[in-house]
Amino acid sequence: MLSRFLRPTTRVRPMFGLHNCAQPRWLSTAATNNQSPHEPKRFTWKAAGLFVATGVGLAVYFKNEKERVTKERKKKEYEANRSFGKPNIGGPFTLINAATEKPFKDTDLHGQFHLIYFGFTHCPDICPEELDKMSDVVDILASEEKIPGSKKEDLPVVPVFITCDPRRDTPAIVREYVKDFHPAMVGLTGDIDTIKRVAKSYRVYISIPDEEDDYLVDHSIFFYLMDPQGEFVDCYARDKTPEEIVESFKTYKQEYLERGGTK
Amino acid sequence: MSALPESSKPPTRAERKHCWKLRDEYFTCLDKISIIDPAIVDKDPSRAEGCLDSKKKYEDGCMASWVEYFNKRRVIDVRQKQYLEFSEKMSGK
Repeated sequence: MLSRFLRPTTRVRPMFGLHNCAQPRWLSTAATNNQSPHEPKRFTWKAAGLFVATGVGLAVYFKNEKERVTKERKKKEYEANRSFGKPNIGGPFTLINAATEKPFKDTDLHGQFHLIYFGFTHCPDICPEELDKMSDVVDILASEEKIPGSKKEDLPVVPVFITCDPRRDTPAIVREYVKDFHPAMVGLTGDIDTIKRVAKSYRVYISIPDEEDDYLVDHSIFFYLMDPQGEFVDCYARDKTPEEIVESFKTYKQEYLERGGTK
Repeated sequence: MSALPESSKPPTRAERKHCWKLRDEYFTCLDKISIIDPAIVDKDPSRAEGCLDSKKKYEDGCMASWVEYFNKRRVIDVRQKQYLEFSEKMSGK
């Protein structure tokens, strides 16, 4: 057989392809090598199959690698940006859950996205409007995800109300107040010093007058969106509609899951 | 549970709506006689005789702090609207 390769050829043959060539046909599974050099080599299915399989294998490998590298890069970018522009809003707290009158920690909200609003029950119009808006956001998202009922644990985002007026807003009063807006709304109160500290950690401005009974509390008006790990995501002002907040939330949730965020 | 003094209990949703309705009726009356600041009526009731009835209903149906707040807000909102119209006119030129 060796003599075949030592035989001088007078024609230029392509290196690869289906033509007969002077190179050892190590991929060839042809039954015989006895064909004339002028006849085109018979197409072998095994060779073609191996070629295609190798190609597919390489494509799959590179696709996976690319996805892995992209995910890693996204995570690194996020971490890098976080240390620069992200405000340090929120933080640990222990308040009183109006529903149970027992202590309630910030960690009790972990595991789900949550929206926090600071207000007071004697608010003339802004707080009721904002809390209705927050309830609409929760209901729109729950119905989009086809969540039956309104158990707090099942909701895509948990609505939370923290009072700025703990002197008048006792647990009983907060309990009645939040029930009127959403059955799963968490109402929190506490002593004035703790409330002031928590408000400060959220950069919420509160001004409580000295009057005895009938007064209004001046406070900043925002919803604070926090992620399942208790990290600040964004805040929404009065001019945002429920639909705008829903769309914004869905974008943030998607980003969170893409970064590998756990629920 | 101990009984809470009445002023500590916040208005319910129905009571809020009722107060807003009375407020809107009174403010509509003031709009008709071109009075922006309700405090003017307090100082000189004769300037708004046709509205004194709705004024009383409004003040009885809402907490005093709310009445003060809504009255001040009315002035701010009207002034803001006038300013916006003015600046739009100016930028239009």
